[in-house]
Amino acid sequence: MTIKTEEFLLNLGPQHPSTHGVFRIVLTLDGETVVKAVPVPGYLHRGIEKIAESRTYTQVIPYTDRLDYLAGMLMNWGYVIAVEKLMGVEVPERAEYIRVIVGELARIASHLVATGAYAADIGGLTGFIYTFRDREEIMDLFEMISGARLTPSYMRIGGVAYDIPEGFIEKCRKFLDDFPKAIEEYNGLITGNEIFQARTKNVAILPAEKAIDMSLSGPVLRASGVNYDLRKARPYSVYDRFEFEVPMGAKGDCFDRYYVRILEMEQSAKIIRQALDQLPEGPIKGKVPKVIKPPRGEAYAEIESSKGIMGTYVVSDGSTQPYRVHFRRPSFVNLGYLDEMLKGWKIADVIAILGSIDIVLGEVDA
Amino acid sequence: MAKGLIKGLGITLNRFFKPKVTVQYPEERLPLPDRFYGRPEFYYDKCIACNMCVNACPNRVIKLETETVDKKKVVTKYDFDQQYCLFCGLCQEACPKDAIKFSKDFELTRYHRPDIKIEFVKPEMVERKKAEIKKAAAEKAAAEAAKAREQEEQNPAAGKEGS
Repeated sequence: MTIKTEEFLLNLGPQHPSTHGVFRIVLTLDGETVVKAVPVPGYLHRGIEKIAESRTYTQVIPYTDRLDYLAGMLMNWGYVIAVEKLMGVEVPERAEYIRVIVGELARIASHLVATGAYAADIGGLTGFIYTFRDREEIMDLFEMISGARLTPSYMRIGGVAYDIPEGFIEKCRKFLDDFPKAIEEYNGLITGNEIFQARTKNVAILPAEKAIDMSLSGPVLRASGVNYDLRKARPYSVYDRFEFEVPMGAKGDCFDRYYVRILEMEQSAKIIRQALDQLPEGPIKGKVPKVIKPPRGEAYAEIESSKGIMGTYVVSDGSTQPYRVHFRRPSFVNLGYLDEMLKGWKIADVIAILGSIDIVLGEVDA
Repeated sequence: MAKGLIKGLGITLNRFFKPKVTVQYPEERLPLPDRFYGRPEFYYDKCIACNMCVNACPNRVIKLETETVDKKKVVTKYDFDQQYCLFCGLCQEACPKDAIKFSKDFELTRYHRPDIKIEFVKPEMVERKKAEIKKAAAEKAAAEAAKAREQEEQNPAAGKEGS
């Protein structure tokens, strides 16, 4: 006797905590196995690129905070670096160092969320609480330097908004001193956990060639063993002055994607330490006219954000407002391979695979 | 076999005996840094009605209206529609006189929607300011008149001596 089976559709999300926001995947299931997955983004679309067209160049900065809201500093940076390229502004050294410090802190904060949320996705909520405890320290540092925790709007075209306040460096150093112990805790609590490993090792292996073909970037790409980090490959800002390694995974499974982030946090801490040691004195803002009016033309600049390569394309028509702004959002591009990654895995693995890509919906939908 | 699991449990058990990192919020509060962006504050007397903050705001939150009294601008309206505020601080940065500043008050919830909008300028403040300007103008005029009279008193004498 044969049992009659048929495929059925299941909506994962948009309101589901494991989608890390409002993200919907239409799954075609054969029993518990995924046959087809269609991602449906757009539930958090606010039209930031369009809004930017009716704002002055400086006024776009607060909106970039709201792209990847887990690393607002890096989003600020990705935007201002493009406008600076368009205008040919030189950024003072001190400002570049401050940018590196806050940028790497933002990277750690973002990876802490990714790590903790991934642990929670797999079923260990304790890990989530532990990473958020340490992320709070970074949020306090951001609040000190920029006045806001998640939406700092700290960078300005040609530099940064304010100088480092009193007590910031000491507090930052204290955080860096405590950080290795915290990483040890995560490794003991999450990485070393047998259940966690069983759920993630050899799940959704992403071959290096495929990752390159789909132009994936960030930890997702590096976990597949591709050595490509913009900070090393094409150093921008002052990254060529620091010593750090680009951590890579060997296999490209979910575990590698998770573990690369932990290793990256260690490297970021190393960079911040060096930047604090080398921090020069001087101005924090370059020579920028009060009314920012870039010449006619266009510019594209990229930075390595916490999720991957964040690029900004700015077109100027010579007025005070950008003619067009486009953001290359790594979370969105990294999702391109989701369908093939999910195919053939069980529904419980869908959460594990999606979590390992580490998406932020503010960035996916823009 | 389950070594990793036991190690994890050890970590949580260890943490259990360490001091708490959370605070009991409404009673206990963490200190806020000076740069914190909370509820905006407006200093009426410092404002010179230059419109810099209005133009700096990305979301057009601020409405500023003025009236000219004796060639001087008087701010008659300074509405801050807080629900659209991004708390980016660009207005504070643009202000040349520090007339708008963000305070450390972050408890911004209200029971009624109209209460969200802050109308900083009260009618009596405008009246006071207008009266001040008028008084100053009158005093100035009186002083000038007195000066002119004094000169006139001296001048005829000077004129007589001269002739």
